[in-house]
Amino acid sequence: MTFRVLDPTAEKAPPAGKAAPRLASLEGKTIGFISNGKEGTKGFFRHLDRMLREEHGVAKVVSRTKSNYSAPADAGIVAEIKSWDAVVSGIGD
Amino acid sequence: MAETAILAVEEIVQLASRTYDANDISAVQELYHSSGWTDGLPIVPPTAEAVEACLEWAMMPPDQLIGIEPVRGLAITAEKLAINAVMAGCLPMHFPVVLTAWTAMMQDEFLMHGATASTGGCAVLVVLNGPIRLELGASGTFNALGNSDRATAVIGRAIRLCLINLMDVRPGVIDRSTLGHPGKFSFCLAEDEEDSAWLPLHEQRGIERAASAVTVMAAGAPRQIMNEWTTRPEEILETFAAEMRANLRHYSIYPGNYAIIIPKQLREHLQAAGWTKTDIAAFIHERARIHRREWAEVGKGAVVRDRGDSVYPAMERPDQLLVIAAGGPAGGFGAIVPPWLGHKSRAVTLAVGACVDCEPPKK
Repeated sequence: MTFRVLDPTAEKAPPAGKAAPRLASLEGKTIGFISNGKEGTKGFFRHLDRMLREEHGVAKVVSRTKSNYSAPADAGIVAEIKSWDAVVSGIGD
Repeated sequence: MAETAILAVEEIVQLASRTYDANDISAVQELYHSSGWTDGLPIVPPTAEAVEACLEWAMMPPDQLIGIEPVRGLAITAEKLAINAVMAGCLPMHFPVVLTAWTAMMQDEFLMHGATASTGGCAVLVVLNGPIRLELGASGTFNALGNSDRATAVIGRAIRLCLINLMDVRPGVIDRSTLGHPGKFSFCLAEDEEDSAWLPLHEQRGIERAASAVTVMAAGAPRQIMNEWTTRPEEILETFAAEMRANLRHYSIYPGNYAIIIPKQLREHLQAAGWTKTDIAAFIHERARIHRREWAEVGKGAVVRDRGDSVYPAMERPDQLLVIAAGGPAGGFGAIVPPWLGHKSRAVTLAVGACVDCEPPKK
């Protein structure tokens, strides 16, 4: 007996985000960090902050932490992104 | 005057999913397993006839939008839910429950993406109330949290297959669970309303008693308790509260929706003493709480810091406790079902057939 069966998946890819234009250099830039607030993020972002300032000449690092580590970033944080040159969103576990 | 064309249902129903031809039942199984479309168990072949029967039972066109998953923007349609429901073993009569559970899961307060992607590894507990339980043969007695009956088995499984296939909630893809638990195969329970003097869960949560309803909760694995050595409500409930305290100590101090399942033997002692679900929730709310310093006793002293005296209740309010009458007639057992991550995800109760996005009637 042959079966004609249906595809159970969404078939359509989720709407893809678009990457922001790449920066030619980090020199003098403002970089934002969005942490999910988990324990593993603390050391990682501390280290990355130091690396960016000391080794890449980043002018300013802005650190923000989501209020709920399992939900999208709070609207207030998302609104701030426009004022940064680049953003690092980190999941720590 | 132009004639109005009225289309018959069979002319409107037009499934949009891609089709595959398989030579025999084994080929169907291998196609679905090798494509990553199953939970590891065999599936029922989702043919157009079977899927259309589900949609017709629910009186829904295939492209009916059930919701848009808020984090990744995935559109969830009735057709795709029906395909996965058929695969899980659902008959058409089971499908409205799957639709309602998914509608409930897509409410913002359920936080579906977080609850299904988290390392915490929770499952979706589905609780059935109202007359639909009897129509479906969903049983809330023997083995209530296990393989109690066909309806709860296939409905619970359908929830997981839909997550796997519609949202890529596959292990290691969107599902990042460290451990997970067996309820991720199927975790559906019917309340034993006929053998209980208490308000059913849905009525306790604001739905008309005569309606059928579904409650969903992002839930850890059940933790069983036993106390057959007392008839005093305070002592019986102290055992439940102690298990919740254990969860607060060993897992998470986030408060939120806990469920407790009270089978007949213990239920009868509580009911004989005149305790309602509201009384039970009030008592548990007072007793199920710990001091932060207790974390030091279970190896978590590093996070106590200077807040050892802070008190953490299992629920923010008594009404966050879902008290469910279910279980076989004998045995001084009970169970607590802890939340995935406390108040980060809220339990949602919806009536079967209710439209959550409809305009309210104009006064």
